[in-house]
Amino acid sequence: MPEPATSIPLILATVASIVAMVLAVRRVRQSDENASPIWPIQSLLGFITALCLGAFISRVVLIHQAWQPVQAHVDGLLLIGVLLAPAIIYIQSRPRLFGLSLFAMPLLVLILLWGVCATMWTYRPFNLDSFAPAWTVFHLSVTYIGLLGCALGAACGAMYLFVQGRLKTKNGISKVSSMASLETLETLIVRAATLGFVLLTLSLISGLVMVTQSEKITSLGKAWWSSPKIWLAVSAWVVYAILINVRSFSTVRGRRAAWLAIAGLVLVLATYGTVEALDRTQQDADTPRAQEAD
Amino acid sequence: MRLLMLGFNHRTAPLELREALAFDPGQAASAIRELRQAYPASECALISTCNRTELYLARPIHDPPTIEHLRDFVIQQTGADADAVHAASIHREQEEAATHLFRVSSGLDSMVLGEPQVLGQVKRAYELADECGAVGPILHRLFHGAITASKSVRRQTGIDQGQTSVSSVAVSFAKNIFDHFSDKTVLAIGAGEMVKSALASLRRENPKRLLLINRTQQRAIDLANQIELTGSDHGARAWEDMDSLLVKSDIVVSCTGSTEPILTEQRFRPLLKKRRGRPLFMLDLAVPRDLDPKIGALRNVYLYNLDDLQRTVQATESDRRELVQEAESLLKTHIERCMGEIRHRDVGRLVKQLRQRLHDIAEQEQGRTAKKLASLNGKSTEQAVEDLIAQHNHRLVNKILHLPLSQLDRSDPDAALGFYAAALRRLFDLQDQPDMPPEEPAAAPQDEPAERENHGNST
Repeated sequence: MPEPATSIPLILATVASIVAMVLAVRRVRQSDENASPIWPIQSLLGFITALCLGAFISRVVLIHQAWQPVQAHVDGLLLIGVLLAPAIIYIQSRPRLFGLSLFAMPLLVLILLWGVCATMWTYRPFNLDSFAPAWTVFHLSVTYIGLLGCALGAACGAMYLFVQGRLKTKNGISKVSSMASLETLETLIVRAATLGFVLLTLSLISGLVMVTQSEKITSLGKAWWSSPKIWLAVSAWVVYAILINVRSFSTVRGRRAAWLAIAGLVLVLATYGTVEALDRTQQDADTPRAQEAD
Repeated sequence: MRLLMLGFNHRTAPLELREALAFDPGQAASAIRELRQAYPASECALISTCNRTELYLARPIHDPPTIEHLRDFVIQQTGADADAVHAASIHREQEEAATHLFRVSSGLDSMVLGEPQVLGQVKRAYELADECGAVGPILHRLFHGAITASKSVRRQTGIDQGQTSVSSVAVSFAKNIFDHFSDKTVLAIGAGEMVKSALASLRRENPKRLLLINRTQQRAIDLANQIELTGSDHGARAWEDMDSLLVKSDIVVSCTGSTEPILTEQRFRPLLKKRRGRPLFMLDLAVPRDLDPKIGALRNVYLYNLDDLQRTVQATESDRRELVQEAESLLKTHIERCMGEIRHRDVGRLVKQLRQRLHDIAEQEQGRTAKKLASLNGKSTEQAVEDLIAQHNHRLVNKILHLPLSQLDRSDPDAALGFYAAALRRLFDLQDQPDMPPEEPAAAPQDEPAERENHGNST
């Protein structure tokens, strides 16, 4: 059911993020000397942070009225918005990293749009009526923050491919001078992947505890190990495990590392998609049974 | 004298053609001597750098060589493809040729605006031509003017401040790949000016190791000592260690005088595995190139040559347009002064020639008149002497005016009558008068027809 206290700030934040993205693109296209000021973009990002934080807190205090902050997808997406917008402000304030915001801002727009959908049309709370709500809250929190790490890694990967492509083809090299060096981008990929890897590891462990403790609290049942969700999550984990050691594996350095960072995000998003699909199938199966019981 | 310039530069000729047209000092000296031998009345100088090959020549106005002759000479000397040479060459004459040299010397025509190295290269080209005995008063004045103007423009505009060398642009290129240099190894191949300049720029970034190799190791050691590369991490290494140094290096700068690539793809490919995927920035500043272009296609290798640097520099050059305008206006004054001196010298020579010719005619006529006076055999009357003097004056004036007046021949449709008429009025201070009725012709001296017949031969 749409909550105006959530949907209105999310819509405003989405519009603000689109405007900020357009301003950032325009700024990158201008020469260094004629570049427009950065403060309107950063003000908009600050505004987005405030809106997401306000919506997140208001949901915890007014709607959930409970200690678990993440009770639905929209909560997780708001949490990502709260963390990603300041991360972009930080990126923009670093010399030669402004260009990275061009790759991170579309992600912010997509996450906020997803949040708008999740609150207005596909709102569905998580099943927290379990013996281990603490595990569930922990699992969801680390998963969403891990997603933030994966998203940043993928943004860095996309920028790496862009910069590297320009440097290799020698086409428009002056344009990449205002962007981060390949070495910086590789470092950022590794750092973002490390954040994603640690949190995905915690997410997998907490998820395993949940599925092994009780088969009722999840939609996976006894054969949880054969679920596509598990395999996708493990695949993503393996990708990030490789990425954090990219400097030791010479064969995956450079472009391949960048593609891996993007592939990692795709796998994580596919895992989320699978969760959604499995949960819906489970719900659809449960509904006739409940009706028959009535 | 007429001043000509035939040139090829980074704007008009691709790197491959510039490689073919490059002259080393020995080849340049031999080419200058050959040109001088073919056209002894001409003065010539040859500038050959990584980015340009330019031939400057001053010759008598109506004498060869023409631009076509010079083009053929370059083709014959270098063996470059004739069509490519025709398509890529530029030529300038008189003021335009001087302006071009002044711009080149001041770094306004350089790949990197205000580049200081080009001034040294112009000086060396002049010295080489002078050693070959090919510099006369025109080129002497022109090159000295260009060098003086270049120094003045650099001092007054500051156009040589900031990022003004290929090496400094190369460092900014490297910053697209590396974040910092404190853990990087730089390998320089060669021991020339470009390598020295590149090392100086890279040294400011404090790399971990700065290594230098050259075929003649002593030259590498000398350069290392010259730029004070001391300590175990820095300094010259043996040429034979090139492969192992390429494995360790993160940045490679190469500029040798080799006519063949010193590093081929076949030789470099096996080293890639040992590098464990570390990115490698390679800069080939040599013409002809030292590094096989195929190396640039290998994974995690970023190879750039002079043309690549030029493309980037052009994109940022617009930012310094005001400086260029200021420099151009300063140069204009210097060029006008230099060309004024050259023209003044030309006019001086012309006046001398004219005076000599008139004296020759006068002496010739004096001889004839003296003979006629002698033939009178003491029967000279005052009237006869007066007639002889009148005939002498008439012949002299006719002979002097024959050539200039023949240019006013109205039957020749190509004659620039207006120009000659104006010149005559100006030179002899003649007034433009309305048509007058023809005067009675003066009685022609007795031997007039015979004299007229002789006019054509005597002039």
